[in-house]
Amino acid sequence: MLKTFRTTALAAIGGAMLFVTGAGADPLSDRINAGDPIRLGFATAIPWAYPGDGGEPLGFVNALTLVVLEEMGITNYEASVNEWAGLIPGLQANRYDIITGGMYILKSRCANINFSDPIGLFGDAFLVPAGNPKNIHTYQDIITTGAKLVTGAGFNTVEAAKKEGVPDSQMMLVAGEVEILAAMKAGRADAAVQTFFGAMEHVDKTDGQFEVTDPKDLPVWTQNWVGIGMRKADTEFLAAFNTAMAKVIGGEAWMAATAPYGYTKYQLPAADASTEFACTR
Amino acid sequence: MSYFEFIATYLPKLLQGTVNTGLVMLGATLLAISVSLVFGLMRLSRSRVSQVLATIYIEFFRGTSLLVQLYWVYYVLPLMGVSFTAMTSGILALGLNFGAYGAEIFRGSVQAVPRAQWEAALALNMSPMLRMRRIIIPQTFPILLPPAANLTVELLKATALVALISVVDLMFVAKQINATTWMSAQAFGTALLVYYAMARFVLTPFLRWLEVLAARKMGQDQGS
Amino acid sequence: MQWRWDFTFEILPRMLWATGNTLLAALIGYAIALVVGLIFLLLQQTRFRPVNIITREIVEFIRSTPLLVQLFFVYFVAPQFGLTLSAWTSAMITIGLHFGTYMSEVYRGGLNAVPKGQWEACRALNMGPVRTYFRVILPQALPVALPGMGNYLIGIFKDTPMLATIGVAELMHTANALGAETYRYLEPYTMVGFIFLMISLPTAAGLRKLEAAVARAQGKIKR
Repeated sequence: MLKTFRTTALAAIGGAMLFVTGAGADPLSDRINAGDPIRLGFATAIPWAYPGDGGEPLGFVNALTLVVLEEMGITNYEASVNEWAGLIPGLQANRYDIITGGMYILKSRCANINFSDPIGLFGDAFLVPAGNPKNIHTYQDIITTGAKLVTGAGFNTVEAAKKEGVPDSQMMLVAGEVEILAAMKAGRADAAVQTFFGAMEHVDKTDGQFEVTDPKDLPVWTQNWVGIGMRKADTEFLAAFNTAMAKVIGGEAWMAATAPYGYTKYQLPAADASTEFACTR
Repeated sequence: MSYFEFIATYLPKLLQGTVNTGLVMLGATLLAISVSLVFGLMRLSRSRVSQVLATIYIEFFRGTSLLVQLYWVYYVLPLMGVSFTAMTSGILALGLNFGAYGAEIFRGSVQAVPRAQWEAALALNMSPMLRMRRIIIPQTFPILLPPAANLTVELLKATALVALISVVDLMFVAKQINATTWMSAQAFGTALLVYYAMARFVLTPFLRWLEVLAARKMGQDQGS
Repeated sequence: MQWRWDFTFEILPRMLWATGNTLLAALIGYAIALVVGLIFLLLQQTRFRPVNIITREIVEFIRSTPLLVQLFFVYFVAPQFGLTLSAWTSAMITIGLHFGTYMSEVYRGGLNAVPKGQWEACRALNMGPVRTYFRVILPQALPVALPGMGNYLIGIFKDTPMLATIGVAELMHTANALGAETYRYLEPYTMVGFIFLMISLPTAAGLRKLEAAVARAQGKIKR
């Protein structure tokens, strides 16, 4: 606690100095320069980001973040595992320094945090029982069949489903990926909507009990770029991160680190993909 | 995977979680005891102001839910510039909450000490502080220990909530194992067994021992 | 961070609707706990010793382990045995079992407070068991049990936020969802606390009044 107090005090003094002189590095760069580890915040969302048995950061978003950090000369890091819905408040509460959960770059999120340049383009898909008994491919199918749809609290899919007209009474919000699969396995819901990757992971895990619908059946506007989330204040770190990422993205280290999690060159963002554009959607 | 293999694989993680549960428990107990003493005494004090303040504190923490308080300390306080680590937030919320219940137990037990003891201490010209410390508080132990023991077991159970603010306690580890292996029965079942063992074979015997000790001390005091 | 009143009023309808769910969950859970408590009590009072012992151990186990872990256990494990329970059902079963163990203790405390002589007198007067219970024993046991029964009603109410973790759409769940949608946590979480206070304080005061009234009716006002 004493240490927390001291860092808080230091940060406060640092902030005050920044205010007075109008110069100097941002809080995160200061933290790293002081030799403290950078803290990665994520939820359990296999294969995006999840903790290993020793709490180490796994998943392709963590893996490629570490590649970028290494390029920046940063090898000192810590992992912090949270509930998905708590990721942004946790970042704002300074509980960790960047969000590596694999967050879509969305307008509402951009209003609250900064995002790095996109690390890939990803879509959502439905997870349904094998054979797709209710023949669900789109949000409209959910409405017409009256099916129960499960997804995670704070997921982009909540907004998407609502915009497509799915009534609250047909939606079931759970804490995260794990609870989504639990709801599906137990038959509490007829379909789950989540990222295509997350859905594929759930299919692999349950050998043949479920299948994934074609992600292209979902509205184009629900396709999203993913970025690393950062605090609004950490602008210098953001710039340095983007510069380093531009050097390694799609490179050998990048692809090798993410391949075990199913990330391929098809997920790489187009060269002209920009966070500014993604933030307007 | 047999249950034996399961335990062999996850023993280190489960142990780490159990240790953290113990740490949260210890920190929260110490804080709760301090809070109980302070607010219990305030409720007993003759000053109207401290009585009212203590009553507000106690009613506030007993009237709102522990989980709400925990989320508030963890997610909302930092927005006002007061940030604690997850572990500290957990200990703080638990200690403040259970302290409110403890204060009432403490107050009740002080009031249960026979009037004559107060008067005797007064007759001996003891200062209020000395009277409290040497005469009254030692006599509250046999009265307050049984309800305090119940409260302590409740506190141990309540520590599981800190898993929801990412403290790596026993519950958090169980959730994590469940997330990666889907061995739900083993993960949560083992956690239940460990909590049970801690409550039944560690905490309860210790508190029983304290009760016996307090009773014996009291007996000796009366004898001499 | 500034408190925003416009936002507060914007989310108020959803919060109040969720409060209804919270109250519903607490009341249903309480009703189940009242019945489960009775079952546990009867099982512990039977003359068949193995049933006594096993029940006592089960009660002890449920009482000494966290409600949160039990919730997850029921929610995740029951389906593995083919029992598909909705989040609501899982929650109500867990709350009912957990607080049923407390309730059986409360009942027992009430019954034990009735002097042995009352039972003997009933037998001497040749009263049947139903009359014995309803006319003599329960009227004396109830005032003793009432404070405990009331406390656990409030206790269940204050534990309902835990149900959010398995997806029951009560107050805490709604606050989480609102936070995740709007990225504002100050107002939703503070409002949850306030609503809890606004319900539990009057309830506690009401229960105290009820206790006093019952005690008065029993002619026990002078103690």
